[in-house]
Amino acid sequence: MTAVIDQPVEPATSAKSVRPPGRWAAPPRPTWEEEPGKVGLAGKGLVLTLACLAILFPLWIVLVTSLSSRKTIDQAGGLVMVPKGITFVAYKELLSGGQVTRAAIISVLITVVGTLFSMAVSVLCAYGLSRIGSLGHRWILMMMLATMFFSAGLIPTYLLVQSLGLTDSYLALILPSALSVFNILVLRGFFMGISQELIDSARIDGAGDFRILWVIVMPLSRAVLAVITLFYAVGYWSAWFNASLYLNDQDMMPLQNVMIQLVQKQEAPVGLGQAIKTGELSGLAVQMAVMVMALLPVAVLSPFVQRHFKKGMLTGAVKG
Amino acid sequence: MSHSTVPRSRTEADTTGKTPEASGGATGSRQNKPKAKVSWRLRFRRDRVLLLMTLPAVLLILVFNYLPILGNIVAFEDYDPYVSDNGIVSMLHSPWVGLENFQLIFADSSFWNAVQNTLVLFFLQLILFFPIPILLALLINSVVRPRVRALSQAILYLPHFFSWVLVIAVFQQLLGGAGLFSQLLRQHGFDGLDVMTDPNTFKFLITAQSVWKDAGWGIIVFLAALSSVSPDLYEAAAMDGAGRWRRMWHVTLPALRPVIALLLVLRVGDALTVGFEQILLQRDAVGPGAAEVLDTFVWWNGVRNQDFGYAAAAGLVKGVISLGLVLAANKVAHLMGEQGVYKK
Amino acid sequence: MTPNASAASAPSRRSFLASTAVVAAAVAGGVPLLSACGASDSGSGGGSSEGKGVKKLLPAFVASNVVTPDIASKNGSSIGFTSKLDLAGLKTSVPKKLGKGGKVSIMSPFWGSPPKSDNAYYKAMNSLIGVDVTWQNQDGNTYDQKLGAVLASSDIPDIVVVPSWNMGGKIPSAIIGKFADLGPYLAGDKVKDYPNLAAIPTDAWQRCIFGGKLRGLPMPSSYVPNIVPLYRKDIFDKEGYEVPTSADEFMALAKEITNAKAKRWACLDMKWIAFNMWGVLSGSEKSLGWNLVDGKLVNRVETQEYLEALEWTRKLFAAGYVHPDAKLGKSAATDPGPKFAAGEFLIYPQDISQWWSRTAEQATQNPSYKIWGMDLFGHDGGDPTLWAGSPAGIFAFISKKASASVIHDALSVANVTAAPYGTKEYMLTNYGVEGTHYTVKNGVPTKTDQGNNEVINAYVMVASPASTIAHPDFPEVAKAQVEWQQRMGAFTKKSSFYGQQITEPSRYTNLSNDFEQLEDDITRGRKKISDMQQAVSDWKSKGGDQLRAWYQKLLDDNGTAAS
Repeated sequence: MTAVIDQPVEPATSAKSVRPPGRWAAPPRPTWEEEPGKVGLAGKGLVLTLACLAILFPLWIVLVTSLSSRKTIDQAGGLVMVPKGITFVAYKELLSGGQVTRAAIISVLITVVGTLFSMAVSVLCAYGLSRIGSLGHRWILMMMLATMFFSAGLIPTYLLVQSLGLTDSYLALILPSALSVFNILVLRGFFMGISQELIDSARIDGAGDFRILWVIVMPLSRAVLAVITLFYAVGYWSAWFNASLYLNDQDMMPLQNVMIQLVQKQEAPVGLGQAIKTGELSGLAVQMAVMVMALLPVAVLSPFVQRHFKKGMLTGAVKG
Repeated sequence: MSHSTVPRSRTEADTTGKTPEASGGATGSRQNKPKAKVSWRLRFRRDRVLLLMTLPAVLLILVFNYLPILGNIVAFEDYDPYVSDNGIVSMLHSPWVGLENFQLIFADSSFWNAVQNTLVLFFLQLILFFPIPILLALLINSVVRPRVRALSQAILYLPHFFSWVLVIAVFQQLLGGAGLFSQLLRQHGFDGLDVMTDPNTFKFLITAQSVWKDAGWGIIVFLAALSSVSPDLYEAAAMDGAGRWRRMWHVTLPALRPVIALLLVLRVGDALTVGFEQILLQRDAVGPGAAEVLDTFVWWNGVRNQDFGYAAAAGLVKGVISLGLVLAANKVAHLMGEQGVYKK
Repeated sequence: MTPNASAASAPSRRSFLASTAVVAAAVAGGVPLLSACGASDSGSGGGSSEGKGVKKLLPAFVASNVVTPDIASKNGSSIGFTSKLDLAGLKTSVPKKLGKGGKVSIMSPFWGSPPKSDNAYYKAMNSLIGVDVTWQNQDGNTYDQKLGAVLASSDIPDIVVVPSWNMGGKIPSAIIGKFADLGPYLAGDKVKDYPNLAAIPTDAWQRCIFGGKLRGLPMPSSYVPNIVPLYRKDIFDKEGYEVPTSADEFMALAKEITNAKAKRWACLDMKWIAFNMWGVLSGSEKSLGWNLVDGKLVNRVETQEYLEALEWTRKLFAAGYVHPDAKLGKSAATDPGPKFAAGEFLIYPQDISQWWSRTAEQATQNPSYKIWGMDLFGHDGGDPTLWAGSPAGIFAFISKKASASVIHDALSVANVTAAPYGTKEYMLTNYGVEGTHYTVKNGVPTKTDQGNNEVINAYVMVASPASTIAHPDFPEVAKAQVEWQQRMGAFTKKSSFYGQQITEPSRYTNLSNDFEQLEDDITRGRKKISDMQQAVSDWKSKGGDQLRAWYQKLLDDNGTAAS
């Protein structure tokens, strides 16, 4: 590209954009990449749009139903597609009483502590198993793999937790389900891809395995660490069965259990001194409201998680 | 990240010029020391920190997985948890029946029906479900605008957080006999849809529901793998004259190969688990002939009646077969040059 | 392909919507819809609660004379109350506090959010009874699993509530092994220390005998079949539909009503009504499916009527008169309430309690809505032959390890919760503290928000008075319900093993597992009647005949309460 001195070189973008690029715009294309074909772009756009619509439409139904009164729901015969008036009575039902706030705090604490614990143990273990040829790693791997296929029955697990004195303790919600072998395997897979030369050179520099893990391996594995942290966090957040099994004190219940109970309350059997749902409140609306509230944390946290999935974020020699 | 500048050029010196064949098997096996005749003690000294790292996990698994798994001994008993004061003691006091539970299982024709349904569903999901997250990941990865990427990703994995009860209710609302599409069809003189209760299309329905609910979630692992591909590789390939599709073939897909191999092997090992709650909820809609899979069979015949011996026996059968499948699949992965779950 | 972090085997979350129908049935009327709740025990050969020695074990019956019902029980119906509530005129049935101030822990299923442990309702109840009760309210839908696990451990609460639909598998063996014999406290005249317990019908007590000893505290229910064909009377009146009186008339009516294009179908799955139309023996408990016919014991699946009822139901489905959602079966069934209110179908079979609960739900929002119950009829238009259900549905047991004073305290709790309608104790148990938990206007008590949050489940699970129907807000519905039961009760016969608590030997547990499935397969056209006939003959050869012999022996040894 020869620069002609007396003619101002127009920046490549000025012809195309009259206004500064908005937040939705594409970043400038790297020089080596071709322009996308129109057909390809349209095709991609179509597929993506269809996929998103297929999900947004049911989501819409859930949202609308959660905001519908009993009358609207009865007229629609169940799930509502076209809104007729908005009422927050289902959400009021869920949020009044203070149980939900308390349970939410409990869930957040369990998720944070549990995820940190699980990640710490998993990352250590995954790295410890990732160096080929290290002593005994195959045995340990086999031993872990076996637990993926053989599971214990409910009663032996309950008896174990009970005899360890963990009933009515939050440890029962963390320890028994702290590790997912699947997650460890995924971590290990990524760790194994880190070049041996890097590690060797660090070793030559005198670094021990802990240091290598902390200083070299982990920074290079940001994406997979983010993913597995996400998996564990979601696991802890959505777990409810262990709480109902091991906790007898209702004041200790985490969020999912409280949500399920609130839905149950609407569909509870008559004759046990139950409340009849008179007025505007519909059990179905409560169920949908619970669902919407379950999605809120996901929607809120998404941006944080996705920062780690930016294109080409990870530099460095990760082979496969 | 000052470290990265040094290694990057070194690896790139390795990979530019030849087709980047990012197969983990080829590179990971080099060790610090020559392979031959390294004594036990030396290896222990070298690797003891690594072993230490695995210790917490091993302890947790031994205590919370292996101890209760020993409880599967009830598969060989007519287990009555209440015969003694303590369920564990009862395990030792219940009458021993040897292989009787297993015989009962294998003699039951509905067991074989369940096995058949399970395998058919597995293959169906392998072909129709497994590739979809990969394709979607590639699609999203190729979207340049970050906001569009982030938004579509977020939307796609939302259904993962729906409960199956809700998913089925929504499907029923749209595709059921009294649902939206059925009513539309009836307005125009056709019959309503029957997909939610048709035993013949049931397996496709299940697969479709799984895709709707979980495909978006499955994208995540693949996106992580894709995002770890350095853009310099693409640039280098483009410099060599590779067009869009060739870049995908030579850079993108190889980056995904190990992850796909790992997940595929694990999926095969999991072949006998094709869903539980989703199928249990719809079992009545199409009848057990079409719907019964191994997990629901065990639940129906064992857990529901608190026949834990029976359930444990079925679990053992399933576990042994699954383990065999994983080992076989791993072998196949090795033959194709991939790590799989572990390498020899 | 979703990885999850939990290593413990986490069983599924079954639809709570479906299970509530089961619970409603057991609580308000008697028997759940699931047929596999017959108990079966482990090593020993099972047993029955009938028998010559039984009379000694049972508490004496002393009818309560504290309150007189507006409608007395007739033909096995519940007792009915239709008058307004007179707060000032409430009687008391517990003149003296029986509790000694001890601590009692109770584990019970709970549907909804359990209130904080120190709430006003629990406090008021505890102070009335004189006992310090600690509640362990457990998720009602996964209760069977928790129950199984807790009973297997060595740490059992003082009182454990076990509903009859959780009595499957090895639970009866647990009951025999882990729970106390209450005979020394309640048999014969000893029950007179607890007058409200003495007023519980003897039939209900007989159901509490496990392993030859009286162990449970019952929640009595009417033995009249509890499933009523409920219909939209307002729409019937508007369209001029007439209530059918024979199977053919029903079919014709269904045809008239159904108009799929207009999004209206006639009914839901009417299988249970069909069974009633053809006089098929009760399928709600295994032992109720047997009856002595011409000197030989016959099981319900062997009868011709069983097949005919299924065939009729199959025709109903095949003709398209059944709402498509009903085909989803019970596990994925959503609450039919909204669709019923929308008029998408006009008839459905459900527990009798919904006659009132639907009315109450719709009263304010939709005044023209009227739900009513059809009388059951014979398939040919004549009188129906109905078979009695079970006289008690939910039981509370006391741990064997409990000391005598704990048992005494537990019985004090039961004495209060079993107080009859119209007493102060009943109001406190079911409605809470006046002013705090409920208000009374024009003789109709209405729960406040606090009442709805705190006064649910819990104490009523311990023991209850004889089956009562009382709805001060809709007395005409209460009257209709009781009179329905009285009319149907006149046609209700008791089968050979009525009222007995029978545990079949464990080798027969799975024997009739498949019948309910097969019934649904046939009615929905996936299988044929001939498949059922094949299944029945398989059943006979694989153990049905031996089971027959086992039951015959029981009959010979113990006699029967059949009518």
